[in-house]
Formats: sequence, structure tokens, C-alpha cells
Amino acid sequence: MIKLLKIEWLKVKNYRTFWILSALFLISIYGINYITYEVQSTSRPKANPMADAIIGTPPFQFPDVWHTVSYMSSFLLFIPGLLMIISMTNEYSFKTHRQNVIDGLSRTQFIMVKMVNVAIIAFISTLAVFLTALGFGLAEGASYFSFEKIEYIGYFFIQALSYTGVALLFSVLFKRSGIAIGVFFLYVVVLENLLAGLLNRYVYGIGHYLPLESTDNLIPFPFFRNVVKQFVTPPPTLYLLIAAVIYLAAYFFVCRRKFETDDL
Amino acid sequence: MNNILDINGISKFYGPIQALDNVSFSVPAGSVFGILGPNGSGKTTLLGIVMDILRATSGTFTLLGQPPSADSRKHIGTLLETPNFYHYLSGENNLRIAAEIKGSGKDNINEVLQKVNLYDRRMSKFMTYSLGMKQRLAIASALLGNPDVLVFDEPTNGLDPVGIAEIRELIKRLAEEGKTIIMASHLLDEVEKVCTHVAILKKGKLLLSGNVDEVLVNEDIVEVSASSLDRLEEVMRSLNGHINMKRNPHSLQVNYPLGTANLERINQHCFSQGVVLNLLQLKKKSLETKFFELTNN
Repeated sequence: MIKLLKIEWLKVKNYRTFWILSALFLISIYGINYITYEVQSTSRPKANPMADAIIGTPPFQFPDVWHTVSYMSSFLLFIPGLLMIISMTNEYSFKTHRQNVIDGLSRTQFIMVKMVNVAIIAFISTLAVFLTALGFGLAEGASYFSFEKIEYIGYFFIQALSYTGVALLFSVLFKRSGIAIGVFFLYVVVLENLLAGLLNRYVYGIGHYLPLESTDNLIPFPFFRNVVKQFVTPPPTLYLLIAAVIYLAAYFFVCRRKFETDDL
Repeated sequence: MNNILDINGISKFYGPIQALDNVSFSVPAGSVFGILGPNGSGKTTLLGIVMDILRATSGTFTLLGQPPSADSRKHIGTLLETPNFYHYLSGENNLRIAAEIKGSGKDNINEVLQKVNLYDRRMSKFMTYSLGMKQRLAIASALLGNPDVLVFDEPTNGLDPVGIAEIRELIKRLAEEGKTIIMASHLLDEVEKVCTHVAILKKGKLLLSGNVDEVLVNEDIVEVSASSLDRLEEVMRSLNGHINMKRNPHSLQVNYPLGTANLERINQHCFSQGVVLNLLQLKKKSLETKFFELTNN
């Protein structure tokens, strides 16, 4: 596996598009949280226990910062998905997936290392979110470091896996970058939300368990918690996690099966 | 010696279209094996199946005497159809990836780049290469790790005449080193000039395969002409031993079993019958005539 990862490294090492997008992603994680921080700190009444009781403690204080930063950063998860789509569909458009197999990789090795890439991209995204949350937490006044609610970083990792996993699936199914990117964005931004809304209307709560929704719901809306929780009951975390694992297994099974049995 | 490749009854369908129909043949070690056929005859499909990028609908094959595996492909240098490389990487970095996959080490990257005259441009990105340079990089990639078996699909595609001659020389040199070369081509003289064995495909069917000398020359062809072709034909028909006779606009073509045409006897016979020949020539059947004969009907 180390050898396979080294080959993947040689592929991206000098690939400028990949690094520019990665850098923009890291900057955006900081950016989106900074904007949120500014908005909430200017609009929040200063040191008002009444306000705290209604809208909750400041969201960038420990331990809530783990939750807040995970939630805000999850809006950027289409970028790791995009990176995954580019790295897979490049192989198809350059026909290097064929050449790699001709040169002596097995089909299984080729698709397995792409799946490992999914995990690596998700892990690095999560690491960036962890560091960003840590930074904001430490910078926030009157905040004492705590690992309480660190599970949200773990949920973010599952969510990142899910987004990049779907991205890999779409790449393997559609093979061409244009259509894979188009369908991915449409699905992430519009289709799934539409579907989830419709399903939730007719069958109670079932829409929460759609592929990406199930992981989106792991990290609920972090602001005005005391108000929100009176109106919305989030689905049980355990069920969401089970759904996420089943979906991930399904993506990987389909990708592997398709790549191993199709004409390349 | 053992066979490098044994193909047993391979068929391949693309939907309703049959690309290969029960093809079987063997490639002996040390041969330069030409797979010949017009465009769309299934050459690339066959090699694609052998390289595991296409799935055969039925049939089996063995590679290097074993069931096919990724490891056996590492010992075969292959150029299939088009040069497939990462456009954004330099020639050298592309070869590093191939070398890493083959496990051949990066020591002979420079050597193979020099062999195909790309060393000076090794740092340029693949996307800046001309068609001929891309093709040469693909050949360089096939030579990585000095494999004993090479598979070339249309190796001279996109090359200029000098490049074609260079690649031909390279292939001959590789053959002299004792390497087995499997080469698919629709260019007849390419195959004729370098191959020891040949298989001819047409619309997915194997027409024939075997040693070039056996496959291609199995008849003596005598071309004769005289002022009256009608009279000549009459006279020639009275001389037995021929297989068949064909009237061309300005000559008569008479086929004899291999090694039995006797020009002196023909000349004498015609003269004694009062026909004076103005053309008498023994021709070997060229690959081209054979090829057209085989693939046209």
C-alpha cells in the first residue's frame, strides 16, 4: 500500500490545480469561520446573562467551538469532493487508468488506492478543521480549553468521508469530469435537499437518512440552540452513524465492483 | 521454447457488435509476431484483453506460461493504441510513475529517454509534446526495466519518416537481443520488414497465423505475356502443373505449387507452339497481395 500511495503522490506532487484548490480550501475554512465569528460577536449583546440563556453561550468558546467550526466548515465540503472528482476523472480522460493497469497494477489495487485517497482527503480536511477550531477557541476570551464536544470533529470526518466518497462514486459512474462535477454539485446543493424535504413531508423523518443528509444531520445547527431545540428534534445520532457507514460501504462496493468488471 | 502468449478461443462482444470471434493462436518466445488486419479488425481489442483492460466475453489465454496476472504485466513493455500519460507532468515524471508501478527502479529512465531521442525534452510537460514525441515517450515507457517481451500497437503512428525508420531499427535491434515482440499494425511493409511470425485478423476472425515464410509464400506466381494473350492462354493451358490462371489486361498470371514453376519449360513449350513471349517472370507473392486476397473476400 505504501508503494501505491507513493505512486499517487507522484501523480499530484506537480499538479498545480490540486494544490491551488487545496490552498483555497484551507483559506476558506478559516474565512468562513472568521466571518461567522465577526457576525455573531458584533450582533450579540455584551455580557448579558439573559441573552446567554436564550441564545446559548458564545459559539466560539470551548467547548462549543468544536461544534460551531465543524458545522460552518461543512459548507465547504464540496471542495474535497471536487478534488476527488478531478483526481479520478483525470485518470479517465488521460486514459492513465488503462496505462497503470497495463504497466502492472491490478484493477483492485488501482481502485483501492483511490478509496484510500478518499480517507486521506477526509482526514486532512478534518485536521484543518480541528486546528481552526483550536485556534478560534484559544483566541476567544474567557474560554477554557476543553475536549468536551470533540465528537463533532469526528462527525465532521464521517461527513467528509461521505462527501468525497460520493464524489468518487460519481467519477467512477460518469467517467467524464464535466458531467461528474455537474451532477455532484446539483446533487449536493439542490437535488438531495429537495428530495429530503419531499420525503420528510410524506414519510416522517425518512429524508434525514438520505446519503449526504444523514451525515449533515450529525452536526445540527449550532446557534440559538436553546431556541431551536424546542422546535426541532434531530434524528438519533446512532441511527445516523449506522446509515453513514452503510452508505460508505455501498459506495466503495459499487466503485470497486464497477472498476473490476468493466471494460476500462 | 515455450510460448510467451497462448490465446484460446477468445471472443468479444461490444453490445451486439462482435469484435473478436473465437480467436486462437500462440506467440513463440523470441519471435517478432505481427498481428495484421485492416482498421477495426480487432487487433487492439485483442491486445486490450491480454493486458486486462478489456474483458473477453469468452475464451482464455496464458501469459508467460501462466494465467494472466498483474505481476506478469510488469515484465512486459506495452504501448497500446495511444500514448497515455499525465498531461501536466513532464516526460521524465511520467516515466517515474511507470517505473514505480513496474518496480523497475528509476535508474534506466534517462537511458530509455536517450534511446528514443527525448532526453533533451525530458523536463517539458507532456502536453507540449508533438504527436511523434508522445509516441516516442510511450515507446520509452515500454522499454523501462528492459523487459523481455514487448507489445507494440501501431508503434509508428504519428512518426515522421525518419522516426519510422528509427523505430524499425529499434525493433530489429530488440529482436536481435532475443526479445519477443508482439506488434499490431495495418502497415503491411512494417510487418513484412521486421516480423518472423504473423497472424491476420479480419472483422474479428483469425484468417491465418504462423511463420511469415510459410504463411505468405505458398505458391509460385509466373507472369507471362505475348502479343496475343488469347493464343498464349490456350498454349499455357495445354501445359499441365499449374493451379490456376488469371488474365490481367496485359499479361497472364499462372500459379504453381511452391517450388514447381519451371521457367525454361514454359519458354520452350510456348516457343514450340509458335508463341513468342515478351514477358516471363517468377514472382513471390508479396504480403500486400496476400493481405488483399485474404481480407477482400
